[in-house]
Amino acid sequence: MSEQPLKIMVIDDENIVGKRLKPALEKTGDIVETFEEGEKALARFDESPFDIVVTDIRMEKIDGIEILEHILAKSGRTKVIIITGYATVEIAREALSKGAFDFIAKPFKPADLRAIIERASKELRS
Amino acid sequence: MSLLDKLKKIGHRETGIRDFCIQTIRFKKFLENARALLDLFADGREKVLGEYIFDRHYVVTLIDSVVDRLGRMVYDASVLVPESGEELYAAYDRHKLAARNLIGSTPSAADDAVDPEYRLLSDVLKWFQGTENTGNISVMEFMRQTFFHVIQGLESNDAMTRNQALFDKNGLHASDMGIYVIDLWKDALSPPSENRSIRDFNSIPLRHLFMDSGNGDLEKAGPKANQHTAAWVAAVSEYQLSLTTLKPNFRFRLETLASGYEPSDFIFIFAGPNAPLDKIIPDGFHVERTNYGQFAWSLSITAKTIEDTLMIIGRNLFDESVRRMQ
Repeated sequence: MSEQPLKIMVIDDENIVGKRLKPALEKTGDIVETFEEGEKALARFDESPFDIVVTDIRMEKIDGIEILEHILAKSGRTKVIIITGYATVEIAREALSKGAFDFIAKPFKPADLRAIIERASKELRS
Repeated sequence: MSLLDKLKKIGHRETGIRDFCIQTIRFKKFLENARALLDLFADGREKVLGEYIFDRHYVVTLIDSVVDRLGRMVYDASVLVPESGEELYAAYDRHKLAARNLIGSTPSAADDAVDPEYRLLSDVLKWFQGTENTGNISVMEFMRQTFFHVIQGLESNDAMTRNQALFDKNGLHASDMGIYVIDLWKDALSPPSENRSIRDFNSIPLRHLFMDSGNGDLEKAGPKANQHTAAWVAAVSEYQLSLTTLKPNFRFRLETLASGYEPSDFIFIFAGPNAPLDKIIPDGFHVERTNYGQFAWSLSITAKTIEDTLMIIGRNLFDESVRRMQ
């Protein structure tokens, strides 16, 4: 029997990230929704939780740490993966200490993110 | 004697050797900055191929990093050849302006098929490498020109004659070799008071350069010369070697760092246009030939590879057939 597709949420205020990640992650049959604004993403999450949230750490209104805290408060089983830039690795470590599953630094290949998602998926299904 | 007294004493014992040592160390910094620029270019070229996800911040950071490194390289060049400083800084200012224009540019709606971040990175790569359509010189071409300024300054006959007189005056002729040897850190503070042997120097690259250049015996190795005036100068520290000729008709310069910290280790060679470079260096070097001279470099290699390569270069460089061409 085939596994249920994962519900993946991608949040990044840079349009290119969601635009390029969505088709790359959908190739394996998972359901991907992308957001450029944190508030809209959180509102959507409150309506319907996701298995995996991939979020940029540095955004204008709500940053990745706030998103992480909100999501883990709502759904302890959701795996949150943080996207960082060059200068934000320290903040990413902070995110890990607050319960993020892992982080990945930009620029990255979708295949690298896919590998992290697969690890998260195994934990979700174990 | 207090530390302050020692510093005062050092300050009053200017010999000219210190300037030479500072210049040699500065040239290493110049090469390190050039190498960092090449790494940035390579990174941009890799990212633009389409496999990576990046945002505008990455491209802007790349541009800023190039401007920063280019500025450091121009500073190094201005220290090495002060007479070129004004011209180099004027060209650098033009590149800073080009960088600002790239960062401030707004993507046109005409080409929606390409993401603006990719289009910006593509424009940045054109700025690096130049295109047939642009009249402005590329960053790469500016680097080349800066290299020529520096090499021409360091390798000029006047500079060589000046150095030779300086080394003779300060007794830097190694007793067992036809070569001047300078300890970059010790001799800068206090020139030697007696003749020294190559064995007196704790320099890993120097040891490997001469290891296989004459029956494996260091005492007998190397470019022996009976005359007092040496044909080569080696400026060394534990991990650094700067070897150059003092011959007016044979230009050859080798710079290397073999610290074991791989990202920073390298070998760089400049040779005159007629020097038999192919007979001297082994395979694996990136080589560029110009009318002015030949440039060869090998980056990101292990210290062990550098040591093996130096043994080959030393053997070839001081081989009789090559020496006859010098």
